[in-house]
Amino acid sequence: MTKEEIQALYKAHILPENKHPYHFEAKEGTSVSFDAYNPMCGDKFHLYLNVVNDVFDTVHFDGIGCAISKASTSMLLKKIEGMSKIDAKAICEKFINNLTNDHQVDEFNDELNTLIALKHFDGRIDCIKLAWEALLNYLLVKDLEG
Amino acid sequence: MLKNIKTYFPIFEKYPDLAYLDSAATTQRPKSVNEAINQFNSFENANIHRGVYDLSNSATKKFEQAREKVARYIGSSNPKTIAFTSGTTHSINIIAYSFLKSTLNKGDNIVITLLDHHANFIPWQMIAQEKGAELRVVPINKKGDLDITSLGKMLDEKTKILSLNHISNSLGTVNDIHEIIDLGHKKNIPVMIDAAQSVAYYDLDILTFNYDFLAFSGHKMFAPFGTGVLYVAEKWIKSITPYNYGGGIIKNVSAEETTFSDYPFNIEAGTPNISGVMGLSSAIDFINTFDKAEMRQHISDVTHYCIEQLSTINDVKIIGTPEKRSGIVSFVVKDIHPHDVASFLNQDNIAVRAGMHCTQPLLMYLETPATVRVSFSIYNDRQEVDRLKASLVALIKFWT
Repeated sequence: MTKEEIQALYKAHILPENKHPYHFEAKEGTSVSFDAYNPMCGDKFHLYLNVVNDVFDTVHFDGIGCAISKASTSMLLKKIEGMSKIDAKAICEKFINNLTNDHQVDEFNDELNTLIALKHFDGRIDCIKLAWEALLNYLLVKDLEG
Repeated sequence: MLKNIKTYFPIFEKYPDLAYLDSAATTQRPKSVNEAINQFNSFENANIHRGVYDLSNSATKKFEQAREKVARYIGSSNPKTIAFTSGTTHSINIIAYSFLKSTLNKGDNIVITLLDHHANFIPWQMIAQEKGAELRVVPINKKGDLDITSLGKMLDEKTKILSLNHISNSLGTVNDIHEIIDLGHKKNIPVMIDAAQSVAYYDLDILTFNYDFLAFSGHKMFAPFGTGVLYVAEKWIKSITPYNYGGGIIKNVSAEETTFSDYPFNIEAGTPNISGVMGLSSAIDFINTFDKAEMRQHISDVTHYCIEQLSTINDVKIIGTPEKRSGIVSFVVKDIHPHDVASFLNQDNIAVRAGMHCTQPLLMYLETPATVRVSFSIYNDRQEVDRLKASLVALIKFWT
């Protein structure tokens, strides 16, 4: 990936999302809350998710991280708001699968496609999938408990 | 002597435009070191201490000669004060678990510092928790220097060890270990020095410093990964017990009991990293071709030029202004996370590290989630600092 290509992707989606992340505020008292934390780099976001009838009704987050992890978390929350837990689990699995495979096989919206394109930005895949993996982990644990 | 220094390092032949500013993580390997490893692996390979045939005898001889060379490197006249380990972390863990743990009791304390790497933090924390001892962490002042007054007050009759790094891998602070070791010894406290960041460039002569234990890694002194050294002062040698059991460390084994060799052989169970030790031996030869004062002067010149240049960028804030600094500079860029900074510098062939540098307690104290860290060695120069500055200025412009 050339520097110009990376800059174009940053300009189009990452920097605006980083500057104006979706629902970036702490919301105490939500039905679900957990950390998306990478101890290797220190990126740490807290997700506040309110689940009503198995649907993510309202979603918020706060914390500290790089532009990619922050933008990715923001995009994840936009994606799952109003979505059932089952659908959210499916989209997380599909997104992570496309990130970790050599080639992207599924199409997403523009901003998620940008994130997947940035997997070729060396060393940043963990930043992209941080919140997605944390949510998936929560859903899988809940599935097991349920 | 340092003029054509890059030609010693093959990596710069392959990547002539690489500005490698991450030597605190690992130094690059000189050609001579790679050749020494290759020579052993290709033409001299045999296991040590166990064969009576020529190749094995020769390998044993070279391995033990390497031990003698390491001892000489730190001014020890006794090669049996030197054990080969996998690195600094391993060496510190040996002192925590094979020296201190069995005599550590509830109410005792261990003194470390806020500047220490997790490798010199967690092993002590673990045994302190297990034995009900107290872990005392020496604070720093605003500049990033150790608070020596607090350190002195923390040392008491219940202190069982004082362990600290010579150089902070995050801030670059050079601790006055001479004074600190004296403080410990005045209260009969053994002192361990983590020399990972200093061993390549500083004289660590035992007769000058009189430390009790010294730990360092090969890969931060031009040697390969997986090599390390533990020095144990003669007075403590009998107190080092085996922690990892297996072949090569025993005197006698029967179904009823096993008796063990003395240090250093009692902690070198199994087959050591023999070819790596050959590389470490060669790395010491490489270092010995230079004057350490000249090495430090060169690194200091580049480092201070870097600080001067970074200080001209409004949005860059240097973290820590210690009185005495090594070739390490940590900084943050306003509104740009260190990982993004490092990634974009990488696009300009500038290799730096971003993160917490295995010093979470320090960064928490500094209220800084992460930093960008540049660290210099003998192969860096002012032109690379100019490139770093230009790349940062361009990134800040792009970001805003």
